[in-house]
Amino acid sequence: MERSKYMAFADRLLRGLLAGLVIVQTLGAGAAAAQQRGEDVYNKVCIGCHLMGIVGAPKAQDVAAWRERYKKGEETLIHNALNGIGKMPPRGGNPTITPDDIRAAIRYMAGDAARSPVQANSGAGKEKTSAAGAEQPVAESSPARTDAGIGKKIVERVCKGCHELGVLNAPRIGAAADWKPRLGKGLETLLESALNGIGNMPPKGGDASLTKEDLRVAIQYMSAPSASAKATSAGGAEKAASDGGKAAAEPAPTPKRVTLTGVNRFNRLMTPPAERNRPPALDGIHDPNNPGTMALQAPREAFITLPKGQSGNYVDWVKALQEALIAPRFDRLDPSKKPMIMDLNIVREVKGSMPDVVYPHKAHLEWLDCSNCHPAIFEPKKGANSISMAEIILGKKCGVCHGKVAFPVAECRRCHSRKKPPVAVTRN
Amino acid sequence: MKQVAKLRKGGAVRRRAILASWFVVAMVFLLGDGGFPTTASAEYGDVVINNFSDSAGMRPAVFPHWFHRIRFRCKVCHADLGFKFQAGGNQINMLKIVDGEFCGACHNGEIAWSVENCDLCHSAQAGTSTQVHESTLQKLLSNGAKETRDGKK
Repeated sequence: MERSKYMAFADRLLRGLLAGLVIVQTLGAGAAAAQQRGEDVYNKVCIGCHLMGIVGAPKAQDVAAWRERYKKGEETLIHNALNGIGKMPPRGGNPTITPDDIRAAIRYMAGDAARSPVQANSGAGKEKTSAAGAEQPVAESSPARTDAGIGKKIVERVCKGCHELGVLNAPRIGAAADWKPRLGKGLETLLESALNGIGNMPPKGGDASLTKEDLRVAIQYMSAPSASAKATSAGGAEKAASDGGKAAAEPAPTPKRVTLTGVNRFNRLMTPPAERNRPPALDGIHDPNNPGTMALQAPREAFITLPKGQSGNYVDWVKALQEALIAPRFDRLDPSKKPMIMDLNIVREVKGSMPDVVYPHKAHLEWLDCSNCHPAIFEPKKGANSISMAEIILGKKCGVCHGKVAFPVAECRRCHSRKKPPVAVTRN
Repeated sequence: MKQVAKLRKGGAVRRRAILASWFVVAMVFLLGDGGFPTTASAEYGDVVINNFSDSAGMRPAVFPHWFHRIRFRCKVCHADLGFKFQAGGNQINMLKIVDGEFCGACHNGEIAWSVENCDLCHSAQAGTSTQVHESTLQKLLSNGAKETRDGKK
C-alpha cells in the first residue's frame, strides 16, 4: 500500500521534473519560470548582502560588476556560491537552497551579464578547465605514487574530520564527482584555497603546521578515486560526463547510506566518529536558516589541536589545560590571575567490587571555586555526604557537572581509580 | 548542470532527459538526506534556553559550553557571575543582559561581542526545549523512548 503510494509519488515527481526540464528548455515560458525562481531565491536569501553590496557582494542588476565575475565562468560562480567565498557563507548562509536555486539567483542578479557574454565566456572557461585538466594528470602521475603514504597520513590526521563524510560540502575522499569541478579550477587554485581557507574550511584545514607541499600531497590523495569508486566507474570517467552524470553520482551516496542508516551496522547506538562534533548548521539544534548560525565556530575547528578524550566532547579538557593548549581566564577581566590550588585527595571507599573513588581537589580547583560545590552540593566534611551513582546519573552531587559538561559517568575509572586491598575469600 | 546546457544546444533527447532528471532526483536526495540528521547531535554540554524565547517569537538561545570553557574557567560564570548549575534555572532575560548581568557581564562589546548580534545566541530551531544537550540524563531518557518505539514495531 505504502509502497505503491511511494511509487506513484516517485512517478509523479519524475514526470514533474521531466516536465520541468522540458519547460526550462523551451525558451519563452521556461525563461520566465527560471527568472521567477531566481527572484524568489534572491528575495529569500541573497537580498541581505546583494541588494546594497555589503562586504563587496556584487549588487543585484549591477551588470558591470557581474560581467566582471562572469569572466570566470558561470560554473565557477555557482561553485563559489555553493561553498562560500570571501565573506560569503556557503549557499549564502542557507543550506536548504540547491545548486539550481543558486544558478537561478545568480542569473537573476546578473541580468544582462548572464545573458549576453555567457556563451563566449563559458567557452573561455571551458578552455581554461580543459587546460587545467590536461595539466592535472601530469602533476599527479609522477609524485603521487611516492607521496601517497604521506598524503594518507596527513588526511587521516587532519582532513578526514570533514572530508570523510563531506561535512559542509567538503569534497569527499575518493569521490571523483566531488573533486572534478574543483580540480577543474586547477591544482594551484585549490592549493591557494586550502592554504588560506575557503568557505567553512579553516586555513590549512586547521593545522598550521602543514606546508603547501603537505596540502598538495593531501589533495592528491583525497582526489584520487578510491578503489570502490574505480570499480564502479571503471574507465567511465569520460563516459560519465556525457552520460548524464549518473555513474558519477551513484558511487557517492551508496556507501554513505549503508554506514549511516543500515539497521545492522556495527555499534548501532554509538556515535560514529564522523558524526561527532558536528558543525552548528548540521547539529540538529541550531537553525540552519538562521543567518548567525553560519558565523558560529564549528567545534571540530576548535578541537583539532586539543588532546582527544573518550566521551563528551571527545576532548580531554583536563589534559588540554595541563598542557597549556588552552588558556581559559580565571578572572573575567584579568587574564593574568591564577587559581589557588589546593592539592588534597579525598578517598571514598565504595561498596562492592568497584575500586575506591579518589576525588582530586587539585583538578577541580583548576576550573572551579570552593563556593561552587561547598556547602550547597557537598558538605565540606569527610563522611558527611552520601553519594550514589543513581544520584549522579540523575544530575545530583557529582552529576551536577559530570554528565553535563565534565566527563560523563561512562569513564568509570577516572573516579574509581584506587585498587581495593585484596580480600581473603573463603569458599564453602 | 552541464547536461541542461547540452540539452539546450543539441535539442531534446528523451533518454538524456530521463537520465538528467534522475541526476536531479539523486541530488535532491543527497542534499536532503546528507544535510540534516533527523536526530539532534549537537555538542556535549550545549545548553538550549527556551524560558521565554518561543513565546516571544524568537529562536531559543544556545549556549555552547565548549566554546566558553576554552576561554574561561567554570568559576568565572558559575561563581563570580552567579550562574546556577541548571539549564533554564537562571531566568535570564534581555533586560538583565543589557544591565550587565549574566551574559551581559561579558557580552557588552568590550570583552565579547554585544547584544545586537541577536542571532548568534538565538540560533536554535524554534520549539527546541530547554536542555543540556547530550547530558547523561537526556540520553537515557531519549534512548529509552527510542527503544520502546522500536519494540512496538
